[in-house]
Amino acid sequence: MGKKFRLSMRSRHILEGYSFISIWIAGFLMFMLVPLSMSLYYSLNNLEVSKDGLKAVYTGLTHYRAAFTTDIDFVPRLQSTLTTMLTQVPLILIFAMLSALLLNRNFRGRILFRGIFFLPVIIASGAILRELLEQGATKLPIFAQYDLFEKLNGLIPGDFLENLLIYADSLTLVMWDSGVQILIFIAGLQTISPALYEAARCDGATKWESFWKITFPMIMPMVFVNTLFSIVNSFTKTDNKIMDYINNTAFRANDYAYGSALGWIYFIVISIVLAIVFFIFRRSLSATEGRG
Amino acid sequence: MNSTSGVQQKYSELQGKAEAVWKVTWIKRGRGIVGTLFFYLVILSLAFVFVYPLLYMVSKSLMRPEDVADATIQWIPKQFSLRNYAIAMDEIKFWPGLLNSIIISFGSAILQVVSCSIVGYGFARFRFPGQAFFLALVVFTFLVPPQTFVVPLFKFFLDMGWVNTHLPFIVPALLGHGLKGSLFVLIFIQFYRTLPNVLEEAARIDGAGAFRTYWMIMFPLAKPAMLVVFLFSVVWHWNDLFEPNLYLLVPEYFNLAQNMAFFNGNANLDIQQAASSVSTGTLGMAPTLQNQVMAGVMLTILPILILYMFTQRYFVESVERSGIAGE
Repeated sequence: MGKKFRLSMRSRHILEGYSFISIWIAGFLMFMLVPLSMSLYYSLNNLEVSKDGLKAVYTGLTHYRAAFTTDIDFVPRLQSTLTTMLTQVPLILIFAMLSALLLNRNFRGRILFRGIFFLPVIIASGAILRELLEQGATKLPIFAQYDLFEKLNGLIPGDFLENLLIYADSLTLVMWDSGVQILIFIAGLQTISPALYEAARCDGATKWESFWKITFPMIMPMVFVNTLFSIVNSFTKTDNKIMDYINNTAFRANDYAYGSALGWIYFIVISIVLAIVFFIFRRSLSATEGRG
Repeated sequence: MNSTSGVQQKYSELQGKAEAVWKVTWIKRGRGIVGTLFFYLVILSLAFVFVYPLLYMVSKSLMRPEDVADATIQWIPKQFSLRNYAIAMDEIKFWPGLLNSIIISFGSAILQVVSCSIVGYGFARFRFPGQAFFLALVVFTFLVPPQTFVVPLFKFFLDMGWVNTHLPFIVPALLGHGLKGSLFVLIFIQFYRTLPNVLEEAARIDGAGAFRTYWMIMFPLAKPAMLVVFLFSVVWHWNDLFEPNLYLLVPEYFNLAQNMAFFNGNANLDIQQAASSVSTGTLGMAPTLQNQVMAGVMLTILPILILYMFTQRYFVESVERSGIAGE
């Protein structure tokens, strides 16, 4: 009797759990699984418009091969998207970490400053940032005016300087892209118990040491989350060259099949990058888990 | 005699020590002041970079054509004029656009807050077979770029007759999907995990069912996470161009961001034309147009800027409490 009761409790619990997530599963089937498999199907076929709608003719991997062989636009765009990601994500992480450390201190006006630092989250996502970029408002006058290039040209060789200035220009963009990451780091820093720092100070650790021995290992999980977020963000940004290109292929040129194939190639590339990130972080994450 | 000199000796020793301590504290204090100054210098210059584009836009958008042409005017126009705003308001069809933007972003945001919190609660508080699998699906959904499956999805909405309605935004949001829906689910999972079990157990013992417990006890407790999700959702929907450009194809359904993009495109075209055929009529037209575009951008972001100004304080606190960072 008692055993039966327990069992029914357990299955009721399971049923309740499923009913809570059931709406998400329904959405997943409708807006994710079906479209995703459809696009895989499209990408392996040639779509022809006929009297009764679209007609699919199986072509195998032709579209995938075409992307790398006959399409002269795709590979360069993919490369530039990847290099932008590779240069910006580390900078975003470092900048977000520094800002979070600054904002996490107790000082006058910290609420105001935090508000300002999250401003990019509010206004810089999407179309508005593109607008600003076109107007050149994100470029600081220091880099654009005062003939900085001419003045420094005597000191630093020209090619190198040009790259350096381009980098410095993109730095403001990096800052504008790191709002959410700063937020996540601050939330992470808040979870570290002050007792740890006190103990370290009693043992004679300097601030520098306690950063590397306490803060850094403790927020390793947030570094991981932020890395993932920054990569996904940089890959799905609207001013991303690949995103534009796929959109144009699919909706302006109406080449649904080829557009789907490009989407899948893009997805596979992202998966590879994310797999590498998982692999890199696996060791450091398991290390912090053991200590925590 | 002996004892008095001993006392004196001790006294002077103590005095020396006290002086040394004083010196150390003064040095420390001096260092502290220098450190604080340096700290404020750094944080102020960083804050400047964040505020700079906003100031730039405000200043440019308030200038009159004469001020634009005047080289002596950098930041503060001689006469503040709202003419750019009046023109931009017309060009971006402010009121209808605003209405569409509000329906899309606030509608989706409210629905996402409710649906994502239900799903997040289900993941955080129940143990059922296949849970790890479904959680992995949530993460997977977050990682797939929308471009990969956008073509069939568009076809699906077209077949359902939902194109040129607000349904492509509302229905996914209702089911815990939509723009960054899986990220919001993850935030709620993280938040509900930090809450203690006691309250629910008490409610269950008092005879409340699972849904009643959730709706009466746990959902109201999730306010910090709700605020974060709501604000993110509103802002991201507000600024998003990708989905509206796909699903809203008729001008009367355009939201502010779309109208703005159109205005900017037209302005750029005009500027190019003006540059190619320089005549006395068009001289000075290009920079003036740019100022109108700036005014348009200001108008587009003004509503959410106001929203942020009011919620900013709670928002920052909520982020700290919502465990957004967990994992």
